[in-house]
Amino acid sequence: MEYATLLGQAALNGLVIGAMYMLMAAGFTLTFGIMRVVNFAHGEFYMLGAFTAFFAYVYWDIPFVLCLAIAAVTIGVLGILVERTLIRPFRDDETSGMIATLAISVIVQNAAIMMWGSAPRAMPDIVRGTLVLGPFSFPWSRLLVIAAAALIFFAFWLFMQRTRTGRAMRAVAQDQEAALLQGIRINYIYPLAFGISVALAALAGALMGPVFSVSPFIGLTPMLKAFIVVILGGLGSVPGAVAGGILLGFIESFTATMFGSLISDILQLLLVILILLVRPSGLLGQREA
Amino acid sequence: MKRRTVPARLAIVVLLAGTLALPQLTANQFYIHLANLVLLNAIFAISLGLIMSVGQISLGHAAFVAAGGYISAVAALKFKVPPILGIVLAGLLTGVVAALLGKILLRLRGVYFVLVTFLVGQVFTLILLNWESVTQGANGLVGIPPISLFGFSISTRLRFYYFALAAFVLVLTFLWALMRSQYGRAFRSIAENVRLAEASGIDVSRYQVIAFALGSGIAGAAGAVMVHYIRFLSPDSFTFKDSITYITMLVVGGRQAMIGGVLGSLFLTPLPEMLRGFVGAQQIVYGVILLGVLMFLPEGLVSLGRFFRKRSPEAGR
Repeated sequence: MEYATLLGQAALNGLVIGAMYMLMAAGFTLTFGIMRVVNFAHGEFYMLGAFTAFFAYVYWDIPFVLCLAIAAVTIGVLGILVERTLIRPFRDDETSGMIATLAISVIVQNAAIMMWGSAPRAMPDIVRGTLVLGPFSFPWSRLLVIAAAALIFFAFWLFMQRTRTGRAMRAVAQDQEAALLQGIRINYIYPLAFGISVALAALAGALMGPVFSVSPFIGLTPMLKAFIVVILGGLGSVPGAVAGGILLGFIESFTATMFGSLISDILQLLLVILILLVRPSGLLGQREA
Repeated sequence: MKRRTVPARLAIVVLLAGTLALPQLTANQFYIHLANLVLLNAIFAISLGLIMSVGQISLGHAAFVAAGGYISAVAALKFKVPPILGIVLAGLLTGVVAALLGKILLRLRGVYFVLVTFLVGQVFTLILLNWESVTQGANGLVGIPPISLFGFSISTRLRFYYFALAAFVLVLTFLWALMRSQYGRAFRSIAENVRLAEASGIDVSRYQVIAFALGSGIAGAAGAVMVHYIRFLSPDSFTFKDSITYITMLVVGGRQAMIGGVLGSLFLTPLPEMLRGFVGAQQIVYGVILLGVLMFLPEGLVSLGRFFRKRSPEAGR
């Protein structure tokens, strides 16, 4: 009986962090798939999203749903500006673009430390109470994260599949030259893709704010996990980000419950190396040209 | 190959004489300390440059620096191994580990390799924090002995300056010779165009493993040297941030030339000292300089003075 409870909790926790990894990895993989940019500042946008939601919710008493929207829009617009000014000059140079995002990450994180201090801040739960199902008890606050992440991802997926802009983005990801020939404007698609990508990261941060705490350093781990997920699922593959995110969430939760978090982290790295050995392009990825 | 002209030779002699005389010009210990850090950072940066010269970027370079430091420090503290032997041991061991790791990881190219080296660095920090019986965890290792050569203890900043200078010249000469050998030619052809190099019969994987092992081994040995100078080591001593710092130095100095890492270290190592008292500002200035150089001076400071340039870079990346 207690075993079942433990497993149930581990599964729920796995689903919560898996949902967050899914959002992080989907955004990360989008930027890479479309723009060929490895965004090392992705975690900082997660952090900025968490702070935005924190200030909106705690200081201004805005309903949480609106806080999410504010975080997504603010950080999304910031992302568009960052793309236009700092990423665009490196459009044809993958390496320099990547180093530029490293620089952006350093600047953003330290600016956050200067502005908000490095002490972690606790964010109150959005909803209280637990859902009791037989031997399992699930806090509603965790279930909310899963539901919200699923909804956000569904909206993102609909946008990519059903709208003209979404189709244009997928076209650019598939074959940039062919897309250009069809009259798709890169200068419109790139900033938008980057904005959406970091808005997803901001949403992930805003959702996880009440689960963990909020500080300038919270971006590193989710970014690290996003890297692992995209290696699992293949860089540039959105379905891979979903499958890889949920999978990694479960792996992390169960191995951490069984062996502790250090062993869990090391196992995750070994898993990544193993997968890279067998299938360098990831489980669902396509071979790089 | 361009032949060295008389002014160039003269410049090298003047530079060398200058660096030898430099610490005699000041009695300020802090400046000498700074000069020591410039030399060490320069070694870290150019050893990373060696890895970059085969077209791979390692974001785990600081992990190898730390590994070398821990090997030599633990050897000295637990087994009373003389530091000078410990440094050699550190270089050899990190080199071998890098070769084994490289054999696996270097199957990956481009961004995949960058991501995995980043992960390796992170896990290494975790191991250092948790393997307390050997590393003392977050408390770190204290009381690491200084280097001593034939009974002569290199315990002052001034003495260390000459030791570090010798190490630096040794590394620079080795890499200079390496880049002029068939290895160097192979490295450059790989960096320019991997597939062309492969098609021309160059064993890309082999050369990449060699460059990765040598670069990481040098970093490990230099890390050990640094640890016997600072005489304290913790998992925070060399982290992901330091890996970024080395990349910054290399890029700001100039990615294409060996001397780039040296210039980068010379320019960036003293910089934080001018920004003391502004917590966080140092890092922000680093980031802004990095972005600025990437945008407006992609070949780095090296391209400012043609005189120092070794060869005009044909490759764009």
